[in-house]
Amino acid sequence: MFCLSELEDTVRVPPDLLKLPLEVAIKKVLQKLFLDKVFSLTFFLLSIGLCLFIYDIKSAEGGFVLPGDGAPTYKVVFIIVVFRPFVGEVIAARFKESDSNGLRLTLGFFEDIYVPAPLIPRPNRCEPDPCNRNQMRWVWIFEEQEYIIDDSYQINFRVENISYPPVPTERAEDAKLFAPMVITGAIDDDGLGPVSWWEGCSERNNEDDDT
Amino acid sequence: MKNIIVKANAGALTNFEVLDLLNSRGASKDTTRVIASETVSRSEYKVYDYLMETAASTQTRESVTKFSDKCKDFKLAKAEILNIINLRPSSDVELTPILEKPDEREIDIEGILALVQELLPPLPTVEAQKENEQEETENDEQS
Repeated sequence: MFCLSELEDTVRVPPDLLKLPLEVAIKKVLQKLFLDKVFSLTFFLLSIGLCLFIYDIKSAEGGFVLPGDGAPTYKVVFIIVVFRPFVGEVIAARFKESDSNGLRLTLGFFEDIYVPAPLIPRPNRCEPDPCNRNQMRWVWIFEEQEYIIDDSYQINFRVENISYPPVPTERAEDAKLFAPMVITGAIDDDGLGPVSWWEGCSERNNEDDDT
Repeated sequence: MKNIIVKANAGALTNFEVLDLLNSRGASKDTTRVIASETVSRSEYKVYDYLMETAASTQTRESVTKFSDKCKDFKLAKAEILNIINLRPSSDVELTPILEKPDEREIDIEGILALVQELLPPLPTVEAQKENEQEETENDEQS
């Protein structure tokens, strides 16, 4: 789910950072621009993914000071680690919340993973969560046993689709925070869903496993 | 808007490689992580915390490399090998969603599971996660 991407950009280094070694200063500027933010539409148009951290700076050229500016500008080629899963990948996630449309899962550093109702194994039912009045709870019914989907176990899902919604120009006051990258996941297959559902199977198959 | 040029989308990384990278920058599980915050940002820590709960946290470079090499005998695609390393399936039912059309390709599922069992360390157990001392000894053994 992670890969390296090589990018080239022009970076302006503010004068107060110039006392640092050049590589450190450039890294600081890059980090501020790219990290800890849900952001830059350009990144997702280029389908890079969620930028996590700087891996390495390959080169930095220039350092010219443009007229009227006190800061030097460099042409920097750098490599970043990005989170970009591929369709078909199986990822371990945790439950975040659920509603009548389906589930929402999280990886901690990325929280926009949605499992829509059609990709939850059937037969199932959706009921108000007795522990949390605002939420709906999904329950899978298999061979007369009920399997609740909640946050007690890690949930494995398969990536069905990744979309990069366009930045909205207007947003209602109470709308959810804009997500530039949304993953649609499925849990309706063998081995997917909460790991507790399949624990019995591995015990039966690998009897010499010492768990 | 800035003129960002993508030169290449190089190299997929296994979870282990990313964790290894973070470890080499000073990320750690202990509560004094504020010391390392100069080199490790908040977003990096979120990734670190996630990875420490997955198979990557018990893997070593040697085991991952050896496993990838041996996988060549099983006619697996790169993406499938990556998935297996990241998830460390221990049963048929956990391995099948990772493989594409296993029946049509005559994949030796038992063989792959045996290789996983032999070369890849077991997943971190829930009890180990809760006990901080055990986590630190595991980290010491890895480094």
